[in-house]
Amino acid sequence: MNHLRRQFPVWGTIVDVDCYSQSVGGADLDRVMDSVISFCEDVDRDFSTYKSDSWVSRLRHGAVSIEDCPDDVRQVWDLSLRAKWLSDGAFDPWAVEGGFDPSGLVKGWAADKCADMLVAAGVAHVQVNAAGDLALRGGWFDSSVGEVKHWSIGVVNPDDRNEVVKVYEITDGAIATSGTYERGAHISDPHSGMIAIGAKSATVVGAEGWLCDAMATAVMVAGDDAAKFFGQSELAGYQVFAVNRHEQTAWEI
Amino acid sequence: MKRALLIAGGTVGGLGAVLAITPPQLGSSELNIAGGSVIGSSTGTSTTASASSTSNTTAATTSAKPVATKKATTKATAKADAGATASAAPTAAATTAAAVATAKSGTFTGPAIFVNYGTVQVKITVTNGKITDAVAVQAPSGRNDRWTNMALPILKKQTLAAQSANIQGASGASYTSYGWYTSLQGALAQAGL
Repeated sequence: MNHLRRQFPVWGTIVDVDCYSQSVGGADLDRVMDSVISFCEDVDRDFSTYKSDSWVSRLRHGAVSIEDCPDDVRQVWDLSLRAKWLSDGAFDPWAVEGGFDPSGLVKGWAADKCADMLVAAGVAHVQVNAAGDLALRGGWFDSSVGEVKHWSIGVVNPDDRNEVVKVYEITDGAIATSGTYERGAHISDPHSGMIAIGAKSATVVGAEGWLCDAMATAVMVAGDDAAKFFGQSELAGYQVFAVNRHEQTAWEI
Repeated sequence: MKRALLIAGGTVGGLGAVLAITPPQLGSSELNIAGGSVIGSSTGTSTTASASSTSNTTAATTSAKPVATKKATTKATAKADAGATASAAPTAAATTAAAVATAKSGTFTGPAIFVNYGTVQVKITVTNGKITDAVAVQAPSGRNDRWTNMALPILKKQTLAAQSANIQGASGASYTSYGWYTSLQGALAQAGL
């Protein structure tokens, strides 16, 4: 079993790709990884709000309309609309100061894309960790026992990131966590414009990365009111783990 | 926004069901009540309730002491310790069928409770005396009809506790700090991890 792990800086953060393949190795595996890195750089070029010539920046400035944008940008726009609707507006990329900012969804979306690129190239066991937004495919290969296992993914205590407070076993799917820590309070409540105070950190596990990412933000905003979102059929099978702000407690669905 | 999702359920020697739910979409001042009833044999007498309530997620414990009578409805005294707005008052008697008097597993549908903004009715699933699921089969119409015909998920409250760190990945901090991340990687490598 071939194994490759690569970490690279992009989107102002680190993406960590860990993968195993029976059929693809050596230079071929390196080439696939390079194409993943290249894709991530394209995402940065298209979506960065820090780059004035990105499509998203031009959208924000009104220099282009969404119809002018390439497929990926329009896809993210459409997914943002869906996430806004599924979260009753708690996740709202249009309510961000300065205009449309899909950052709360793009990492989860892109992590899925990266993972699917690897799978399509014949790499069966994949973990893409985009700064806490993970896409998992096919479990991982434990060479010590020679078998494929679930990915065990820990949710980190927002007050002590060396401590794991929840473990999800995921073979295929996504997990995303939002929090006010590490990057500071970077999520605001679109209804009030205030800093989101629904939770200290919010984790969502489910099939699709963009939706996990967006809903984690929605839980940060809405707190346990967000429970109702997860009664929708579109979110069937999605799990939530939220750490409360002022107590050493958490809740989950 | 305050709202309480209060689920109380119980098993008493046979069964009991005490149900209360405040749908999340409603405002804080709106209080929601659950009725409780305990039917059946009176050997076991504890009814426990767990509640996840509103913003501060205060847990409520309800203890009900059924009076041993053969009548279909038994008085229950309920004391809710929810810090917020919820107080469980046994105003409505459940009409759970006596046919399941000795069962400890199954699904139980509480009475439809009319509150000032609509009707609430909760169904719980009990397995070996523990509530494993609770959904609202009826919830009031609110400002957003989309939520009203849905099963409302139940929140499971817990204390934060360290878990096994035997993991292949972590979801949590946004690793914007490249320095911190690479430092961590170095430390992990030194530790042979």
